[in-house]
Amino acid sequence: QGTIHPFRKTHKSVFGKLKQEFRLVTSDRRSWRILLFGALNLLCTGCLLMWCSSTNSMALTAYTYLTIFDLFSLITCLISSWVTMKKPSQLYSFGFDRLEVLAVFASTVLVQLGALFILKERCVCLPLTHTQTHSGRLLVGTFVALFFNLLTLLSVRNKPFTYVSEAASSSWLQEHVADLSRSLCGVIPGLSSVLLPRMNPFVLINMAGALSLCITYMLIEINNYNAVDTASAVAIALMTFGTMYPMSVYSGKVLLQTTPSHVIGQLDKLLREVSTLEGVLEVRNEHFWTVGFGSLAGSAHVRIRRDANEQLVLAHVTNRLLPLVSTLTVQIFKDDWTRPLLSGTLSSSPSPVPPLGPEGYAIPPSSSALPPLLSDPLTSTPSKPSSPPPEFAFDTPGRNVQQVVLPAAGHHAHGPYGGLGLAYGASPYAGMLSQGVARPGMPSSQSYRTAFGAPTLPLRFGTSNPLASQSQYRQYQP
Amino acid sequence: FNELETFNIISIFFSLRFLLRLTRYIVLLVVTKVLKALGIFESYDILKVVHIVQFIFILKLGSAVILLFFQKPFSSGKAISKRQWIKLLKHAVFSCIISLLGFFGLTLCGPLRVSYITVVEVSNMLFCCFVCDSAQTRGAALFIIAVICLLLFDNDDLMAKMAEHPEGHHDSALTHFLYTAIAFLGVADHKGGVVLLVASLCLKVGFHTASRKLSVEIGGAKRLYALDNLVSAVVLLPWVIVLSATTESKVESWSSLILPFGMIILSVMILEFYVEAICNTKMETPRCARYGAVALFLSALLLANFWTHPLTDQLRSMSKPAQQLSTEHVLSGGVIVSAVFFIMASSILSSPSKKGQKGTLVGYSPEGTPLYNFMGDALQHTSQSLPRFIKDSLKQILEEYDSRQIFYFLCLNLAFTFVELFYGVWTNSLGLISDGFHMLFDCSALVLGLFAALMTRWKATRIFSYGYGRVEILSGFINGLFLMVIAFFVFVESVTRVLDPPNINTDMLTPVSVGGLLVNLVGICAFSHAHAHAHGGKGCSSNDHGHSHHGHSHSEHSHGGHGHSHGMNANMRGVFLHVLADTLGSVGVIISTILIRQFGWLIADPLCSLFIATLIFLSVIPLLKDACEVLLLRIPQENEKDLNSALEKIEKIEGVLSYRDPHFWRHSANMIAGTIHLQIMSDVVEQRIIQQVTAILKDAGVNNLSVQVEKEAYFQHMSGLSTGFQEVLAMTQQMESMKYLKDGTCIM
Repeated sequence: QGTIHPFRKTHKSVFGKLKQEFRLVTSDRRSWRILLFGALNLLCTGCLLMWCSSTNSMALTAYTYLTIFDLFSLITCLISSWVTMKKPSQLYSFGFDRLEVLAVFASTVLVQLGALFILKERCVCLPLTHTQTHSGRLLVGTFVALFFNLLTLLSVRNKPFTYVSEAASSSWLQEHVADLSRSLCGVIPGLSSVLLPRMNPFVLINMAGALSLCITYMLIEINNYNAVDTASAVAIALMTFGTMYPMSVYSGKVLLQTTPSHVIGQLDKLLREVSTLEGVLEVRNEHFWTVGFGSLAGSAHVRIRRDANEQLVLAHVTNRLLPLVSTLTVQIFKDDWTRPLLSGTLSSSPSPVPPLGPEGYAIPPSSSALPPLLSDPLTSTPSKPSSPPPEFAFDTPGRNVQQVVLPAAGHHAHGPYGGLGLAYGASPYAGMLSQGVARPGMPSSQSYRTAFGAPTLPLRFGTSNPLASQSQYRQYQP
Repeated sequence: FNELETFNIISIFFSLRFLLRLTRYIVLLVVTKVLKALGIFESYDILKVVHIVQFIFILKLGSAVILLFFQKPFSSGKAISKRQWIKLLKHAVFSCIISLLGFFGLTLCGPLRVSYITVVEVSNMLFCCFVCDSAQTRGAALFIIAVICLLLFDNDDLMAKMAEHPEGHHDSALTHFLYTAIAFLGVADHKGGVVLLVASLCLKVGFHTASRKLSVEIGGAKRLYALDNLVSAVVLLPWVIVLSATTESKVESWSSLILPFGMIILSVMILEFYVEAICNTKMETPRCARYGAVALFLSALLLANFWTHPLTDQLRSMSKPAQQLSTEHVLSGGVIVSAVFFIMASSILSSPSKKGQKGTLVGYSPEGTPLYNFMGDALQHTSQSLPRFIKDSLKQILEEYDSRQIFYFLCLNLAFTFVELFYGVWTNSLGLISDGFHMLFDCSALVLGLFAALMTRWKATRIFSYGYGRVEILSGFINGLFLMVIAFFVFVESVTRVLDPPNINTDMLTPVSVGGLLVNLVGICAFSHAHAHAHGGKGCSSNDHGHSHHGHSHSEHSHGGHGHSHGMNANMRGVFLHVLADTLGSVGVIISTILIRQFGWLIADPLCSLFIATLIFLSVIPLLKDACEVLLLRIPQENEKDLNSALEKIEKIEGVLSYRDPHFWRHSANMIAGTIHLQIMSDVVEQRIIQQVTAILKDAGVNNLSVQVEKEAYFQHMSGLSTGFQEVLAMTQQMESMKYLKDGTCIM
């Protein structure tokens, strides 16, 4: 496969497919409106480009690019309505939500590249030639473009761009306008309701561009300053850059599969909660990213204690994270899971724990559960088993962790867990054992456990039954 | 009166007194500023007859004498060591240069504009503590706009007459040099003056900051000022002696100049210095600066109106030749506009910076006052120095093959571009210069590629949890868009030219395009290597997916011949296509030049560019398509078959009931990520299944996998968790109570 494919065989059905998809989109009445505006926009852009070449004004060309950007945004709008109709296919397993993001990214980048071209043209021309600008259609073009842009912006509900413009950080143009209007509101407090809310960046740049074009027209008409045209073209190009840059950064970050910074706090809180669940040692390889605009996807590896119930932990972890992360995969991970099976009798019992005798248990807490903890570089805080777990209320012999938790956990345990609890109870070493197991686990997962000192029930399961477990807890408190 | 009212009255009284005390200083400041404006106008007149070096010498000497009398720098304070004298000497030389530049600017562009620029100079102190506040940047931008206004829109017609005899009455080597420098810049005379003034202003800002340390060392700013004047007078003395010996003076009588000189010395040099010092201590600096600026501006405007008026003739102590009246620098529209800008800039710059807004609200203190977190300050402290940063990134660039390749080619390209640009300026060839700019523009794509190649190796962070490998693909996508835009513009341009083929001057085209072709051919040789590998790697990428973690060491010998783990490096492809497009452009130019020369087909050029545009467009489409597929998280095309068979295998594993939500996507060139949910029978060990599935999918190329193994119990738990608290309680109560009892009795 080479790079140049001038005579590449395209699929015969490409156009057919496009036609089919187009038909799908046009079946919705709302997209008719978008198509109508698109046609108007094309007409307007054609007119403007003609006027651009007739007036030979670079500033008007720069402003026309904003109209072309409106065309892109309409296309994005169409794509977003197509996306809502499409189901995830086998190849695109996450659905086509990302196409929306890609369209936003591509259109903002294209406009920025257009602005870059304007700047380049100016750089080449500025010291060399003085082009004569005719002001004939300049003002007409400005107002036509402004009118169409504002009409498109205000009458078509453009979901993706509205989202991006609200979610992205504000551009320098917005910052300056906000700064100015703040000082203006200091003088005239009545304007605060109009000026103080965040301005729509598209409206702002359209207004600012139109303003600079008007100034250009005036100066050319009155004083024949042709250099103003260049200056205002550069200004419009810079403003376009400033407006589009935060948006392309935002959508680019979505495309790069990054964790959105505004959910990091929430995510950290949830992960901390998860790591304090009974049996969880640590959470690692956590990847959270946004599929489209808004919907979060993610995966995480949860390392648990060898004697913990995988399905129960999985259910609890999923239950915690699912409200925030809609597409979630949690891999439960146990260290050294083969060993108990080897030492124990070969059996097909429902869970690996019951067949273990007390002898089998006596080793793991000190030898098999700890070494991986200490050796694993990912586990940030290697713990010393000899040091007592800090600030832990249950750490007195006799009253250990397990006896409190097991009943609480039993609320949800229908099948296997009940039997498991019984097995624990029957074993005379259970108290000591579970304590020994619990100890190394706790400090190891300190990376997420900042609420350690809080006198809550760190090992309590679930939030759905706080009352019941609390009462149980009190029962065993001295 | 009740107590509150008494208190109110007292506070009003106090503030009134405070205001009254302040007004005294303000009046003093305003008077000084008016005097300074007067002094500037006066010195402009004097400078017409007295040579500039002599003028500065007299100024410095006079002020030094007066200051020595007042300040007594030798008798008071510590003795000055030899090292300090040397520093003082340097300081004095710099101040001489600055005042030389300033006064020379004055002779060129007249007193009015000088006073405008000095308006801003008042607030130059605030320039030094320049923070990235949006208001401050606006102020700086306004200042720049004002200077540009002065440069571009100030059509001072009388200036043109001055420009006709630029060296008429200047005969020293210095002025001659400055004139030639300004003529070289290619701006008109008075605009050169503006440029000089701005340069001297910028120097002054730096000079003030530098001298602050010295003034502490010497013992006070006043002492430094006095000594500085003295030393600079001494420095200028030999020059003045040589000057007066070699050239005949134009001054008729020095005695008539004593009064104006005294006035200038007093107003510009001494009074202003003292008053500024006093006001700065009594009032806050920004306020002082603002009042001073307004006063200076207004008085300069008034004086400019009335200076040539007969009324002020008695004020002016010099009789002047009549013909010089015509070359007076007058008001013009541009000056007024720029004056407005200057005033705005100075008021914004001198307004107190609201630093509190930079902080983010953290919370409230126990007393209820808001607590802010100043992230910006913390970041500024941790940022490393620029040279070190450059050194580090250079080292990183040279570490790996891809980025090294791009970097060398970028250097080559830039070198060629600058040679072209310099040659273009030398021979004054328009075509060469514009071609140079085009090349520079193309370099931006290379810079983007280089940056992406550099970023790819950054460590994974909290935000970029998979690492930065995907940046490469995004950069490839952007480069593809870039090429599309280029192709589009070339297409449109050539269509208009096909309709109306212009005459082309082909003289310079051939050598330039041959040079460009050679440079680009080198690039193609360098990049096609990586490019071929990017494609060659596709077939065998499934065999060496395990190397993803050793990407560094592996790519070092990636050109050794065996397939490497780079399945698709969109970044390098984008760069390669860019270079290819450039090469095509050069080839097209050469072909069309030959055709035009040989056959006179003017239409050959647009047709060629039409063809090239189509070619670029078509060659970009695959890149864009591939990058889009990766960005849209499609199942990687080259692993599709493997993955399907792997999924079949997974279904056949003993104990696996089914799977759902299989997501596999290529994250970066050497990472395919995947997530899958498995349903297994309840009597199977989960970890074993995970191990098997991971192994199978690893064989299929997935190297970042998460497997969620679900049993029936999981769904029971989930349904229990997702239903409300009450139902769960009711459902499990009977069962629980029994177990609790047993547990409790057992353990207690």
